[in-house]
Amino acid sequence: MIEIDHVSQTFQTSGRQNHLALSDISLTIEDGAFVSILGPSGCGKSTLLYIVGGFVNPTQGLAKVKGRAITGPGPDRGPVFQEFALFPWKSVLGNVMYGPRQQGVRPAEAEAQSRALIEMVGLKGFEDFYPKELSGGMKQRVALARTLAYHPAVLLMDEPFGALDAHTRTRLQNDLLNIWERDRKTVLFVTHSVEEAVFLSDKVVMLTRAPGRIRQIVDIDLPRPRRRTELLLDPRYQKYLVDIERMFDDADENELPP
Amino acid sequence: MISARAVLARATPVLACLGLLAVWQATSLVLNNDSFPTAIEAIRAIPLILGDKEALINILASLRRMAIGFGVAVAMSIPLGLMMGRSRTVASFFNPLLMVIYPVPKAALMPIIMLWLGVGDIAKTLVIFLGVSLPVIYHSFAGAKAVEEKMLWSGAAMGLSAAQRMTRIVLPAALPEILTGCRTGLVLALITMITSEMIARQSGAGNILFNALDMGQYDTVFAMIIIVGAMGIGLDALFEKMRARLVKWSEPQFDIPVSFS
Repeated sequence: MIEIDHVSQTFQTSGRQNHLALSDISLTIEDGAFVSILGPSGCGKSTLLYIVGGFVNPTQGLAKVKGRAITGPGPDRGPVFQEFALFPWKSVLGNVMYGPRQQGVRPAEAEAQSRALIEMVGLKGFEDFYPKELSGGMKQRVALARTLAYHPAVLLMDEPFGALDAHTRTRLQNDLLNIWERDRKTVLFVTHSVEEAVFLSDKVVMLTRAPGRIRQIVDIDLPRPRRRTELLLDPRYQKYLVDIERMFDDADENELPP
Repeated sequence: MISARAVLARATPVLACLGLLAVWQATSLVLNNDSFPTAIEAIRAIPLILGDKEALINILASLRRMAIGFGVAVAMSIPLGLMMGRSRTVASFFNPLLMVIYPVPKAALMPIIMLWLGVGDIAKTLVIFLGVSLPVIYHSFAGAKAVEEKMLWSGAAMGLSAAQRMTRIVLPAALPEILTGCRTGLVLALITMITSEMIARQSGAGNILFNALDMGQYDTVFAMIIIVGAMGIGLDALFEKMRARLVKWSEPQFDIPVSFS
């Protein structure tokens, strides 16, 4: 379980002004839940993820994982970034093996596990490729495999498909759901796409424009396993999309234009 | 047809050298000046120099100083540059210092260094060390600064300590940039080697060159220039081969070779 308790985050801008990125966020994420954080760009949603990851310390408040305060990064929380952040000097296999090797898994075992993961994310045959030789979608598959390889209890996904074209994005969403439905890790997923959030999640946390506060938490009560083609015809799915879009529209009317 | 093109590509540097020598030969014949020997005369003098035990010892002494100066400089500059790139405190301490030293021609420091350390190996090696250090520090600094934060975060999540992130993420990620600095450093090592020997004339390749000049042995002067130049080209090509192998993961495909390798 992840507990976020009255967390606020202030950044100092280059003009030496304080910028409030997150304001008083409290949120509890159950084990095994797929939770999306949805909000306009610049609302601090990634910052919230980085706080859970231990990459950023909150200015105020406390984040806890399994009842223990988060003081830094750890292999129990595995990040997947929009920028992929692969190690370019390592092959696909080398990247995926990196975590297990660091955890002390013996080379032969780490390699076998990594090869299986690479196959699972659909990259069999690309083990010896370097990241620069892969497309964006393939890079993100490697990044996902690399993170899954050290068995984090929580996956922290920071707009992972944001840099991909629409077609690749859809395919990766489907594959992510398939992979997730096997072992149901806790997933915290940051996105600005309403469709992506509704399609993937059990729960959508909507943030306001900066400074980010929780606007609303929407439970997505749709059956799993989810199939995109079925959902598109499902009135409940359509209603979630419309409701969430409307909530953002209403808010925009009361706020400054972006 | 493809192989013919490949042969041509391989032969271009050779052709360029032959062309240069032909122009030299022709110009020299036309000018007919004592202080400008023909290319053939200069080339004829090369085996005489390389066959002379004394000269060979001198050249090897030069190379040894260069290797030590370069090696120590690289070994010290890479860690310093990387630390500057990852720590604002370290950078703000060393950066002003380096900014002052950077534009000073290192050979200009030679008189002071000679005054304190004499004209022997230590003084000359120190000048080479100074010449090599700066570009290696700056390129390591720039390389380390450009390392993506998220890459370090990914490493931290896998359990890498701060020290491990430095040696196992920052160092390899910055390696292409570091090696670019080292390549510049290598050429500078050769330059500072010759200049130090022409100021503190006691031994070395630079010493042979300038002694020959004093004695009016112009074919030897030009032969030495060819030898030193060939050393530079050879070392650079060797280094470039090693560099390309080490960072083949980062190389964009490039048509024009950037060295003789």
